[in-house]
Amino acid sequence: MQSPDFSQNYFELFGLDPVFELDSRRLQAAQQRLQATYHPDRYISADDRDKRLSTQVASWVNQAYETLQDPVKRSRYLLEINGATTPDDSSTTSDTEFLMEQIELREEVESCRHSDDPLRKCEQIETRLAQRADQLAAEFVTHFEARDLDAALLSSRKMQFIQRIQQQLSELQFELEDF
Amino acid sequence: MALLQISEPGESSVPHQHRYSAGIDLGTTNSLVATVRSGEAVCLPDEQGRCLLPSIVHFESACALIGYQAQALQSSDPLNTVASVKRLMGRGLEDVIQLGKVMPYQFVASEGSNVPRIRTRGGDLSAVEISSEILRVLAQRAGQSIGGDLDGVVITVPAYFDDAQRQATRDAATLAGLNLFRLLNEPTAAAVAYGLEQSADHLIAVYDLGGGTFDISVLRLNKGVFEVLATGGDSSLGGDDMDHVLGEWIIATAGFSDIDAILARKILIAARTAKEQLTIHDVAVITIDHEQQWGHEIHRYEFEELIQPLVKKTLLACRRALRDAGVGKDEIDEVIMVGGSTRVPLVLSMVGEYFERNPMCELDPDKVVAVGAAIQANILAGNKLDNDMLLLDVLPLSLGIETMGGLSEKIINRNTAIPVARAQEFTTFKDGQTAMSIHVVQGERELVSDCRSLARFELRGFPPMTAGAARIRVTYQVDADGLMSVSAEELTSGVAADIVVKPSYGLTDTEIESMLRASMDHAREDIILRMLKEQQVEASRVIEAIDAALAQDGETLLSESEIAQIQEPRDALEAVIETASADELKRLIKAIEEASEFYVARRMNASVKQALTGKKIDEVDV
Repeated sequence: MQSPDFSQNYFELFGLDPVFELDSRRLQAAQQRLQATYHPDRYISADDRDKRLSTQVASWVNQAYETLQDPVKRSRYLLEINGATTPDDSSTTSDTEFLMEQIELREEVESCRHSDDPLRKCEQIETRLAQRADQLAAEFVTHFEARDLDAALLSSRKMQFIQRIQQQLSELQFELEDF
Repeated sequence: MALLQISEPGESSVPHQHRYSAGIDLGTTNSLVATVRSGEAVCLPDEQGRCLLPSIVHFESACALIGYQAQALQSSDPLNTVASVKRLMGRGLEDVIQLGKVMPYQFVASEGSNVPRIRTRGGDLSAVEISSEILRVLAQRAGQSIGGDLDGVVITVPAYFDDAQRQATRDAATLAGLNLFRLLNEPTAAAVAYGLEQSADHLIAVYDLGGGTFDISVLRLNKGVFEVLATGGDSSLGGDDMDHVLGEWIIATAGFSDIDAILARKILIAARTAKEQLTIHDVAVITIDHEQQWGHEIHRYEFEELIQPLVKKTLLACRRALRDAGVGKDEIDEVIMVGGSTRVPLVLSMVGEYFERNPMCELDPDKVVAVGAAIQANILAGNKLDNDMLLLDVLPLSLGIETMGGLSEKIINRNTAIPVARAQEFTTFKDGQTAMSIHVVQGERELVSDCRSLARFELRGFPPMTAGAARIRVTYQVDADGLMSVSAEELTSGVAADIVVKPSYGLTDTEIESMLRASMDHAREDIILRMLKEQQVEASRVIEAIDAALAQDGETLLSESEIAQIQEPRDALEAVIETASADELKRLIKAIEEASEFYVARRMNASVKQALTGKKIDEVDV
């Protein structure tokens, strides 16, 4: 088995341009093409070295796909391969305006539970969150293209926060839906 | 025109040889084996034409009987006849004590091992060893059918099976001397069996309701690639639960009290029979012989009211799986039904209503998993070079490590595509520290005590450094079978750690090795003994049949010398039943059959005559 070049970044691996906006269909097709070549199922009768290598490569492809598929992870990864240091999630922010927004959104999601029509309220917030996520992604792209990596990192972290709220909301919707 | 064949460097240009493979569905209640023959996957029957092999093993002191023969001995010798062993795979003593309430076996702990053993006449045996007996019979059946040794097999497991349960299944295959190509998730196998691989961008839900378990998987199918998006289910919800609620209804309706083991068994059997009848009929009659006979009618709608909450529970799991997959139920293109319990009409209708489409159930729900496994095995064996089918699966339950305060820190989340690797960095907290220990658990809960313990890994042999200076990278690798391994390296020195694995519920490598050695030593002996035992059982059956017939009509149909003619080989057989070889017994049984042929014919004539006696010719149905 011919080992792929492990020094490639994920975009190179999938043959995609290293930009935030990407065609998810092309990404998926590239991932499946790579798995079709390297998946351990293709090396069932190979020697131990090739078996091990194929598991490694297939794991790498999966990791790459998972990273590029998710907008937040993709934005962070773009920053990393462009030399920005991306502090872990626990680091705090000093952007007070953003902090206020976080608190407000959290409270709003929690308040759905007690509103007259919780599901409708959830839907309204869902639409707003989606708009906010698009807006932040656009912001990220602008900063990233202007090579302002610090500002891009801040947008990426805001995107991450919105994503968490979206997950929280979807958990709540799941709970509230009559079944 | 012959074209030049050019092969890649290192690749052989030797013409491809067909390699033999089989798919095995190692089930809780029944097991099956299938293989691809002339391009078609077929389940392989035994000599009597039966595809299902009851997953039951009966132990004699020196050999084991498997399947229907074991089933026949289940009530007369329950302690030495093990059923539903799948429920014990990868389980520890505590779990087994829990199950002990429903399983009659005597469990024993063995020294220096966490794996519980069942005490049988054949010795103290683990679930892995017992399962390997079933696998061996199925592999033998496949080998006989294809006329050669198997190059490899695919064995199916429930999608929700955790690492320990998968490892146990793998160990059973090793012990049975099989080359395991791959462990395949049952729902994925079912999707493969339906042959939808040519579809472009299809979303499929596989609803698998068996005797004791429920499994739901959401897959995306795109030109031969089966990608599992999410999987979920309930490992203790199945057709048996329907029998139980109906059983409770019987108890309440009949007003039974003081229910002993025998009555409980009768009630359950009656409940199961009624459930099966209600699959076809609108009304079933339940009768139970207990002190006096009790009988009662039950309508299908009454039964459906009883089981409705159970079916609803499965739909809740479907909903959760759809959510995990990020798919709306209206986006699902096909729903595939698997497992015997999907024959219940209410299940079919509620699932259809939920997904708003007619579920696919054209293939026999008992066979579909084995068929899919056989198709995958044939491809893995390399027999379909032009085939581009690929199965991409996910990790069913999150993997985590124990951190301070008994909490589980997730390393790999459930529904992550496998194979997958994750690395973590640690440092030492004491000067000169050269070892550390990592406890890996599996499950979604926060507390380690609520998750399943998989193994403790002891990493040793780091170079001693001051506290905090060492950088130890631990890599967790999950392979395509869903099995995890751990490796570790100190980064500043590049020294790899020695790793000692202590599986929480599995057999250690040493245990497997010694079992394997023992089984190889005994393999030939075992086969000979099993054949002998089978012939002995057959011989007693023949003797009993002869005795019963002679007692009934021997004197009316036969002369004294004729009786002697039959009696003689019968006595000869009885005299050597414990001492003769299998071949000898077979020969003697055949001799009896030949000697009594005329008697069998005469009995048949007599019974026809009796049926006709006293009837006018026009009353006889011709």
